[in-house]
Amino acid sequence: MNRLFLHPTILIFLPAIALIPVSYTVIKDTHGGGVGILSSFFYAAFHPSYDNLVLNHSFYALQITVASALLGWIISLFIGFILGILSSQLFWFLLGFAKVNSNFIKGILAIPRAVHEIVWGLLLLQLFGLSPLVAILAIVIPYSCLVAKVVSDQIDNYKFDVLLASKYSGAGIFSILITVLFPSLIPLLRGYGSYRLECALRSATLLGIFGLGGIGTELQLTFQSLQFSEMWTSLWMLGLVMFSLEKLVNWVRSYPSINSRVQYQFIIFPIFFIILFLIAIFWLSFLGINLFDEFNYHPIDWPTITQILIAFKQLPVLNLILSTLLITFLAAGIAIGIPPLGLLLIPTKFGMQLQSFLWLFCRLIPVPLFALLLLVCVNPSSCLAALALGLHNIGIMGRLLKEGFIEQNKDCFQSMKNSGACFRSSLLYGILCPQTKSYLSYAAYRTDVLLRETALLGVVGGVGLGWQLQESLSSFAWAQVVIITSTYISLTLVGEYLIQIIRRYCLGEDSQISLEISY
Amino acid sequence: MDLIVFEDYYSTFLLSIIKMINRSIFKKIKGNIFILILLLTRLLTSNQALANEPLLVGAIPDQNPERLNRLYDLLCLELSEKIKIPVRYVPVTNYSAAVSAFRTKSLDLVWFGGLTGVQARLQTPGSKVLAQRDIDEKFRSVFVANKSSGIPIINNIYELKYLKNRRFTFGSESSTSGRLMPQYFLQQAGVQIDDFSGRRPGFSGSHDSTIALVQSGSYEAGALNEQVWNSSVSNGRADLDKIRVIWRTPKYKDYHWLAQQDLDKRYGKGFTKKLQKTLIDFNMENPRQAKILNLFGAKRFIPASNDQYKEIEIIGRQLGKIN
Repeated sequence: MNRLFLHPTILIFLPAIALIPVSYTVIKDTHGGGVGILSSFFYAAFHPSYDNLVLNHSFYALQITVASALLGWIISLFIGFILGILSSQLFWFLLGFAKVNSNFIKGILAIPRAVHEIVWGLLLLQLFGLSPLVAILAIVIPYSCLVAKVVSDQIDNYKFDVLLASKYSGAGIFSILITVLFPSLIPLLRGYGSYRLECALRSATLLGIFGLGGIGTELQLTFQSLQFSEMWTSLWMLGLVMFSLEKLVNWVRSYPSINSRVQYQFIIFPIFFIILFLIAIFWLSFLGINLFDEFNYHPIDWPTITQILIAFKQLPVLNLILSTLLITFLAAGIAIGIPPLGLLLIPTKFGMQLQSFLWLFCRLIPVPLFALLLLVCVNPSSCLAALALGLHNIGIMGRLLKEGFIEQNKDCFQSMKNSGACFRSSLLYGILCPQTKSYLSYAAYRTDVLLRETALLGVVGGVGLGWQLQESLSSFAWAQVVIITSTYISLTLVGEYLIQIIRRYCLGEDSQISLEISY
Repeated sequence: MDLIVFEDYYSTFLLSIIKMINRSIFKKIKGNIFILILLLTRLLTSNQALANEPLLVGAIPDQNPERLNRLYDLLCLELSEKIKIPVRYVPVTNYSAAVSAFRTKSLDLVWFGGLTGVQARLQTPGSKVLAQRDIDEKFRSVFVANKSSGIPIINNIYELKYLKNRRFTFGSESSTSGRLMPQYFLQQAGVQIDDFSGRRPGFSGSHDSTIALVQSGSYEAGALNEQVWNSSVSNGRADLDKIRVIWRTPKYKDYHWLAQQDLDKRYGKGFTKKLQKTLIDFNMENPRQAKILNLFGAKRFIPASNDQYKEIEIIGRQLGKIN
């Protein structure tokens, strides 16, 4: 092979370059005006409100969040897995339709994913009114498409040799799916699946839009009036749930008898999910949320072509795209680059524990809160916006890296270490390097989310598409919403195409080719 | 393991499970399934079983939203005692969502801001403004500035041009007092929103955040609700050594209670009038009512009508917030 490939290890650290412009600008703009607010925020962390009313209400809100997150999560995992298998190249290949291009299905699935959750929420609300069932639906649609994307990518990254061997030795398609493919998806289900549950816990917007309350609503409202001690009551509760979830998943993972035999998992997982599903439904009705409340269809006036054309002329689309991309890339650089850097700099057991806590903290603090905390000490700029967005997402990427770290086969690392390589090098080449591909795919999905999360940065100054979306939604300018949403969809599709190309040219991997050879 | 054997093993394994379910568990569960179905139907019909469907009340998250969210029981209790109908509060936390929920008749009575109320009323023909607070009749916004920014006190509206090329923040996008009216007055003085430093203003998200951000100096100036400013000064949150008022806007109408048109049809003739009277009769002598009024930052509610909000509608259209 003559082509020059970038070594994956470089690629994993490359994004951290974003730190240079961001830290330069932020340090330059820092001032001491917000010390008071910052100190009251951190003081409140150790003095959360123990007021009975606050405690009761936060606890009730927490239950609503956990129950609806559980329900949304299970449904979206289920649908996501099916869609994921359907949209993988491999599935169609196994069925014998070698020429079916699953990219088409993937492209269609990218559309619901690229539509901002606020748009989904408000659109469904416009059509069906306040209904808990519709709220769950609004959570499920984008989530299941995201899971589908991850699953199909994972399947298509799978080594084809075993599958081909099974296929050519005459095994039926479903037995291949069950015996070869399913076991390979189990770690994904455990790692990424549990991470999705945490995402569902943290996502608050939709429950608030549908008037269901929840801990996210508590956070949003207490944050709005800067009642830090009351806010910390909710933050600690949410943090505790997230922490125990992480521990629980690790415990399940370390339980050998569950993991040892595929057939156990084949029964355990469905039963486990059905039980959780029922628990979630009954829990919600116990909390006074009637999922089966009736709802009616309320037609809306869809914008006409002329309206859309007029809106297109009004909006500075190119400017919006450029400023959004700038923030997205900087934020992505910070979020993707720092966790591996941290792991390499402090690779001790204590250091990893510390980072694990730090990342949990980062995930816990919502983006608008980070933005405000930073903004009281730093003058507004795009770099600051990127930093706020990046800091929250470091937590998420850190968690994903840790998941991968735990699932990673340590043989290579051990043998390197035993043959005398220093600890850091063995960590770098034995663990981080094999992780690069999956970590960077997660990073790509995350960048996709970051693109939409720029909507949360209005406080730093009306920046980019996300802010314009909020503005158009609050003006009920549906023609503008259509344009912005289409822009998001196009950006997502182009982004995914570029990532495929990058994979092909930088990492030298190409699932397409290996399939073509086998035709 | 040989794959075919494995597959064989697997199919027998699955078959045995299915048989097992068929044979034993299903028989045992059969009875329970009926109970489950019964429970589900109970769940389905529980709402309709109530004698009267509840009046659904909401409020946009504006001032002390977290307290309102915790203490809405008070409002529900008081209202339902007076109007003899169950009242349920729905905590919608997004301005646009509150407007949309009102349009789809998912909310019957909503506490709206000036702009959101007009948006909701235009989207829901026939809906009626019932009441406003005593202070909403002559509401104002204040422009505040950080003392070290050197922005002078503004004596007439045209001096708002001093704010050009300064770091400036509004409150929430849909707020009447934190965005719409300030932007309108700025525009009258010839200041457009891309005249600020960085070619765009910030949207702090709430009145309290505006104070915090201007006080810290990150934004040199901002605009917010006068009532929130006054209470921040009195409770010490606003540090007058660092932040000061540079201008008070002229008066305009703001927050109000908006009711659906079909309430009379649903709850009997004269219901809307009764609801309006109940709100207006809230007074500070009654302890529970006093608590509610405090929650809304009012001394009392006064009658209000749709046409009082004509000006807001015109300004909303002018600034593109009403389409």
